[in-house]
Amino acid sequence: MASEQARIRVARPGYRPDVLSIIGLLFVAAVGLWLLINFIKAPADFYNLFLIGLTNGCVYGLVALGYSLVYGILELINFAHGDVFMLGGMLVATMTTDWALANKSGMVLWLFILLMLLIAMAFCATINTTIEIVAYRRLRNAPRLAPLITAIGMSFILQNIGLVWKGARPTSVPDILPHGAVFTIAGVPYTWNRFIVLLFTIPVLLALMWLVQRTRHGKAMRATAQDREAAAMMGISVNRTISFTFFLAGSLAGSAALLYALYITNIRYTEGFRVGLIAFTAAVLGGIGNLPGAVLGGLVIGFVESFNNGLGWHAPGSDWTQSIIFAILILILVFRPEGLLGERTPEGV
Amino acid sequence: MAPGIQAVRDSTPALKRQTMPRAKRAAIVGIPAFFVLAVTGSASLGLIVAALIFGSLYIPAWNTLPLGKWIVPLGVILLAVLYPVYQPNLFDVVVFGNFPSVDTGVTMMIFIMMALGLNIVVGYAGLLDLGYVAFYAMGAYTVAWFASQHFSNVNVHVGGVGVAPNTPGFHISIWLVVIIAGVFATLAGILIGFPTLRLRGDYLAIVTLGFGEIMPQIANNGDNLFGRNITNGPQGINPIDPPGFGNTLHNTVGLPADYLSSTNSTRLFYWTALFLVLVTVFCTVRLRDSRLGRAWIAIREDETAAAAMGVPLMRTKTWAYAAGAFFGGVAGAYYGSFKGGTFPGDFYFNISIFILCMVILGGMGNVWGVIVGAAFLSYLNQEGLANIGAWMNANGVSDFVFRKQIDVPLYTSGIFGVILVLTMLFRPEGLIPSSRRKAEFHEGVHDEPLYDVTHE
Amino acid sequence: MADLLTAVGVRKEFGGLVAVNDVDFTIPERTIVSLIGPNGAGKTTFFNMLTGVYKPTAGQIVFDGHDVTGKPPHAITQRGIGRTFQNIRLFQSMTSLENVLVGMHSRLKGGVLRAVIKPPSLKREEIAAREKAHDLLEFCGLSGRDDEYARNLAYGDQRRLEVARALGTEPKLLLLDEPTAGMNPQETAEFTAFVGKLREEEGLTVLMIEHDMRVVMGISERVTVLDYGEKISEGTPQEVQRDERVIEAYLGTAAVS
Repeated sequence: MASEQARIRVARPGYRPDVLSIIGLLFVAAVGLWLLINFIKAPADFYNLFLIGLTNGCVYGLVALGYSLVYGILELINFAHGDVFMLGGMLVATMTTDWALANKSGMVLWLFILLMLLIAMAFCATINTTIEIVAYRRLRNAPRLAPLITAIGMSFILQNIGLVWKGARPTSVPDILPHGAVFTIAGVPYTWNRFIVLLFTIPVLLALMWLVQRTRHGKAMRATAQDREAAAMMGISVNRTISFTFFLAGSLAGSAALLYALYITNIRYTEGFRVGLIAFTAAVLGGIGNLPGAVLGGLVIGFVESFNNGLGWHAPGSDWTQSIIFAILILILVFRPEGLLGERTPEGV
Repeated sequence: MAPGIQAVRDSTPALKRQTMPRAKRAAIVGIPAFFVLAVTGSASLGLIVAALIFGSLYIPAWNTLPLGKWIVPLGVILLAVLYPVYQPNLFDVVVFGNFPSVDTGVTMMIFIMMALGLNIVVGYAGLLDLGYVAFYAMGAYTVAWFASQHFSNVNVHVGGVGVAPNTPGFHISIWLVVIIAGVFATLAGILIGFPTLRLRGDYLAIVTLGFGEIMPQIANNGDNLFGRNITNGPQGINPIDPPGFGNTLHNTVGLPADYLSSTNSTRLFYWTALFLVLVTVFCTVRLRDSRLGRAWIAIREDETAAAAMGVPLMRTKTWAYAAGAFFGGVAGAYYGSFKGGTFPGDFYFNISIFILCMVILGGMGNVWGVIVGAAFLSYLNQEGLANIGAWMNANGVSDFVFRKQIDVPLYTSGIFGVILVLTMLFRPEGLIPSSRRKAEFHEGVHDEPLYDVTHE
Repeated sequence: MADLLTAVGVRKEFGGLVAVNDVDFTIPERTIVSLIGPNGAGKTTFFNMLTGVYKPTAGQIVFDGHDVTGKPPHAITQRGIGRTFQNIRLFQSMTSLENVLVGMHSRLKGGVLRAVIKPPSLKREEIAAREKAHDLLEFCGLSGRDDEYARNLAYGDQRRLEVARALGTEPKLLLLDEPTAGMNPQETAEFTAFVGKLREEEGLTVLMIEHDMRVVMGISERVTVLDYGEKISEGTPQEVQRDERVIEAYLGTAAVS
């Protein structure tokens, strides 16, 4: 009786690409073609830009990891995260200058760098955790707008601290990393200062993934991220877990800050905001809450930035980099909010 | 409830309105008395205290008079209108220094307008817009296009004042341009809103933040957009024509022909800005009390339920965005005419947060609160912080607390940040809350966006 | 009697989980239908598909002659389906009257420009709307509560307000999601009578999700039973009560034998 009236629509299993996916793929193909043409025209330049993009991308990825961790557990965009990174960078600048590291070399230099890394990580971790306790904890059950606005306020405060600490103009960091080549391809050396960044990022990502997937702390984090109340009922200290997450995210920012300061060799109080926005885009691009995705997103943005700034054939140019990155953010949020590696999760009413 | 009590309640509605809290009465009388005494130069502490006591004891609750509820707003408007007249006579206040100049007053009015516009988006509809500066920029560039010599290859004069008749460029009357700017900003709002308003709250915030970020970029690079000079790049566009009423009206009725060539030009700008603010308040209140206003509040509280009650989410949110954008555009256009130029350096992203701060500190969703918040914070930004700093430096406070002289305006962004954080932590409903909001923050809402609910 | 709502092969999958599995469902005009089943059977999910909160993975829903499958919630409400929520979702910071006025949103016409200008036609519309909302509140037993904030109402009154608000949408079909939850027997009896009144005086068709069998047996003309997302029985309350599969679903296999 009912079946006579109906035109039944049944979802067909299997991959059925829709118009948007096709357009997206075409666009990516076009970009790939553009890159290929540029590569053929000037391979050395291309390779150099590739290395720059790779290195910057790793730094962005490290900061993006921090955003992803905090968002995963609190569904809060910690606007202040980028500024914590900036303050870490300023600390590194101060330490490098005050301890005259430019005059040191060899084993001593590396020990100092290691020391600075630990101090920067502790510094940023402490700031991040303090911010959570002071500003976000009280607002856990408030409407969503409230912690967001507080985060913006904290971002402003940290930026002001940076401005007062080091002034409005960029602070230069003595260039202490070695510039010798690890290896050379097509006449372009892969210098040590770039390699260090990559060398650092990969183990950190792996260690973090191990921490989240295999340890008790990680399990607590994942449980709290999924259902705070249930986790509390299972005996997980929600406050401690969240503080731990912020501590972790802060350390990541601190390590990124060290790498950034030593590699880019200068830091400015507005860098935190710029890098923060980039890193958040990277985290969303990769899939917010997804750790390898954050690094992947960082790399993609790093490449977009460097290729856009440097390639010769029909590149929009560095004036448009921020706009392009921002356009990526919008496109991802509108058309594929789960990002490249994320999964769409069902919600209930 | 006992029938007797119920009967009493039903028969005396006036009882509710008679008892205005004493403090409120005292303040409402005391503050204008303060000013009047100041103007006449006899502001002694004794007289002021007497006025306050008188106010708290003897002023009848005027709410019960016919048209009673208009007394306070009219009084405030009167104070504001007469401000340029008595401002020179005002004394100095401790710490804050002199009262703001009329010039600062114009800037304050502009910010009040923008705060009221943002209030529609954030306060009524609950959409966190961090890129409001984009609409302000849209308005500023609209006035730069249509009331200056920028498009020098055309020669269109429609009521433009203050320029010779054969000057190249668009020279349309500022009164028209201001409306055009509002419309352009509204269109920009609809365009921006279309992809972004379907996103959940925090993503919407970051996307609007991005828009606010790239706006100055586009303005800076706009001298070579596909080969056309739209914004004249970093140098900006100037001069911009002033507002005015033209020679005919000047000769017949005595209205100023163009503001710049008049003797009281700052006052004229101020009064026009005040008028624009009043129009904004009027529109805002009308919108709030309308079907659309109810829909906005419903969306803010519980999107899913609102949609189930027939409120079309995207359309309604876009209306909020568009309405807020309109006033931002008008404010930007008028400001461009006031300053005589539009420069990319004016649109730094921080402005969006400043305006947000004004809405939040004042009281999200409450018109009076937003006005107070905007007036106070814009005053601080323009003159107040500098004055406070000067006072602290001159009176040894800086030396005592910080061991050196300090430059307070340097800490502007930090101070605003602290205001945001403290307000959110301790009084999220703002200084002058709307009765609705107070409960929301302390008891929580059904915050889940429909986007989250429906997406598989 | 024509069918007001016809749902064919409606299915909802959440990732790997099938919440509603190929359910066929019809509601004739001016009837009172109950949808029952153990917890987690998919009743609210089914409701949500009828009201547009969820898009069905498969199947079709035809209401009053129009295909409403997958349409957004506000469009479905405009067509004439109103609903209440299982956990009360009133607009807490609005008064009772304002809550009902929001319910009437799709039946009013004031736009932005008219709101600002406020011509006499708009004033008349607003006054008429407020009167209608007031009448609805009275009809639902909430007289005198017009200006109370929703959050200050007693629990029973809040449930009544939910219904009043849903009635504001001028529905042809009213969906009630566990309307008597938390009510004592007297309130339940009053509510049952009230639902009858809705059908008799207003000509409404009502679909209820209910757990309270007194309501189900007392007022429904037809009962449909879901279990694990599937329809396992349908018929008059008496027929369903005796159906073995239903007994098994609620009480377990031992109860049947």
